[in-house]
Amino acid sequence: MSFAYLVSLLLLGSIAFALVREMRKANPRPAGLRGHIRARGWGLLLLPIALMAAAMTGHVHALAVAELAVAGALVTWAPRLAAKLVPYALLALALFGLILAKAYHDGFSSQVLYGLVPAGGGPFRRGFVLPQAGVFFVLGMWLLLRVEAPGAGLVRTVIARWLDPRRGGISPRQGLLLIPVTGLAMQLLGPGNWFGVQAITGLDVALIDLGVATVMLVLVFRSRVWAATLAEAGLLVLGGYGLLIIAFWPSVPGFNYGFADLTGPRPWPAGVAVQAVALLGLGLWLAPRVMREHEMLPADSELAARAQQLTQRVQTLTRTRSEAVDTAVAELRRIERDLHDGAQARLVAVGMSLQAAERLFASNPEAALALVGEAKESSSRALTELRDLVRGIYPPVLADRGLGDAIRALALDTPLPTVVDVDLPEQVDLPVASAIYFSVAEALANATKHAHARSVRIVLSQAAGMLRAQVTDDGAGGADPAAGTGLAGVERRLATFDGILAVSSPPGGPTIVVIEVPCASSSAKTSSC
Amino acid sequence: MRIVIGEDLFLLREGLVRLLTAHGFEVVAAVASAPELLRALVEQRPDVGIVDVRLPPTHTDDGLRAALQARGQVPGLPVLVLSQYVEQLYARELLADQAGAVGYLLKDRVFNDDQFTGAIRTVAAGGTVLDPEVVQKLMVRHSRTEPVARLTPREREVLGLMAEGRSNAAIAQRLFITEKAVSKHAAGIFGKLDLAPSDDDNRRVLAVLAYLGS
Repeated sequence: MSFAYLVSLLLLGSIAFALVREMRKANPRPAGLRGHIRARGWGLLLLPIALMAAAMTGHVHALAVAELAVAGALVTWAPRLAAKLVPYALLALALFGLILAKAYHDGFSSQVLYGLVPAGGGPFRRGFVLPQAGVFFVLGMWLLLRVEAPGAGLVRTVIARWLDPRRGGISPRQGLLLIPVTGLAMQLLGPGNWFGVQAITGLDVALIDLGVATVMLVLVFRSRVWAATLAEAGLLVLGGYGLLIIAFWPSVPGFNYGFADLTGPRPWPAGVAVQAVALLGLGLWLAPRVMREHEMLPADSELAARAQQLTQRVQTLTRTRSEAVDTAVAELRRIERDLHDGAQARLVAVGMSLQAAERLFASNPEAALALVGEAKESSSRALTELRDLVRGIYPPVLADRGLGDAIRALALDTPLPTVVDVDLPEQVDLPVASAIYFSVAEALANATKHAHARSVRIVLSQAAGMLRAQVTDDGAGGADPAAGTGLAGVERRLATFDGILAVSSPPGGPTIVVIEVPCASSSAKTSSC
Repeated sequence: MRIVIGEDLFLLREGLVRLLTAHGFEVVAAVASAPELLRALVEQRPDVGIVDVRLPPTHTDDGLRAALQARGQVPGLPVLVLSQYVEQLYARELLADQAGAVGYLLKDRVFNDDQFTGAIRTVAAGGTVLDPEVVQKLMVRHSRTEPVARLTPREREVLGLMAEGRSNAAIAQRLFITEKAVSKHAAGIFGKLDLAPSDDDNRRVLAVLAYLGS
């Protein structure tokens, strides 16, 4: 069992190496048995895995003992490293399972304890090895991502690339068909098949199998379209080959076709027929899809991706536009009501007072004077109300001085010590400036009213085509854009300019509100920064 | 007393001229744009320049800039800035040169003849007049911070009226207390704010504002 020794040695070597590295770092010691177990987490799995690896050697000797001892030491003193080793140990077990299954298939017959289950000999010769290897593989991959072992990033990248919907119209599942097709082809091409002629002589068959499998895997991940094409061709050829076998049966020598064993004492030709028809059907189903994919020029697929992007963009714009229109109408309605109930009503009162004063001027000058005083008072109030209204529509300092000074003025009017840092281009598009101004004003108001902050810091900056405002307060925290109307309103206001709002506000503070708006707005008007 | 007016709205400009003439002021120039205003202020050297913040050509803060520029050329030139709204930011800029003779009022204050002409005279005499609205914001902003928080409510009231440019006599009259009591409160304020006491109203106000603006 040289494979088992190899795997054990690899495992042992890596564990020893890691142990030496890890022993230099001190780990905090948790208290209590439960704390010890929890601190070890996934690393504890290393013990049963080491036991399985030791059992595979088939003997109780020094290597197995040493392996278990090292695994135990690692779990005890370097739990984090043990956790990172577990996924790789599982993958190594899975690989060994594949090799073992292949060995059994090629006639190897000794009994090996794989995954602590006796394999080899008996009716379960191959039965358990492959499913177990599959389970180990899946578990290993899952743990690899779970414990963020080295290589997790690479696996994620490959998966993301594979699942990226912009890479053509063939679905990942269709490309994945290449794997079973390759398996079947390799089974048929193995020694003793190919119409009884030894197809490949003088070469290490296992090595070729491994190479072919690697190439196919790479193909599946690099280009799903070509993988699907090859799978389709394979399905048709293998299906046709199956039909040929049936046509010449039983004059052809015995061999295996998929799940149907024609070599044993009880051959099962019907199984070959069913499989052949299924493969052909699958191939014919896949063929038009693959052909459509190939008829589409590369430019077309780029166009398709672009069309998809544009569709998403239109959806976003439609939503934000309707929100912007709603907001604008609500604003106008509020302004109309404020003017109607405020300044307009006061001016009517002024006119009436003056009218009455005019009438009383000759007969009762004192009463007339009192009415003029009233008129003056009313006009003063009307002015105050108009001033407040104007501030809410478009702050005068913003119009006079631009965003930087408007934010400085806002900070001065805040009853909190407020530090303002401004690093902005000269000109910011007025609508964008207004959106950022009111967003910052809302964040400041929250810091004052709800968070009970002691101080606030506002930083305005520009980087990578984005205008950025950051409002940080040392208040109580716990702000949630989903809970209140204020921040949700800010989010909607910013969405019109493709801007975003990010809030970090853990209970107990501090609260950090970040507002980002692209300088170049996507509307027909482009801004100048 | 010679006055220069910079106001672009015809009705308001004529109204101001009529009001000031009626109160015995001499309006030597009434102009409608920032460049004209700057020229009039520098050439006429009036006792007070009355300036609207928003003026042509850009209709932003041209009037304020012209006033600041004129004070750069003629240090201490008395300027009373009028606006539809008041900003602490602009108040700071006006007070930045520490030369005094500055006023910053809402346009509404024109309605009150006595207050308005009083403000003009204070500014002409080198005093500082800030709109109550600015003063109120300043006080709110600093009410929670040390050592303003240590002031008694009465002392804060006196501090606010001082910032509005009122003399001890005017403060006494307003609060229905004696001038002596006002002096006592003022001494208390200066003590708590670590400011050197001074008899000069203007310097006193500037010191307070410099403190609050820090």
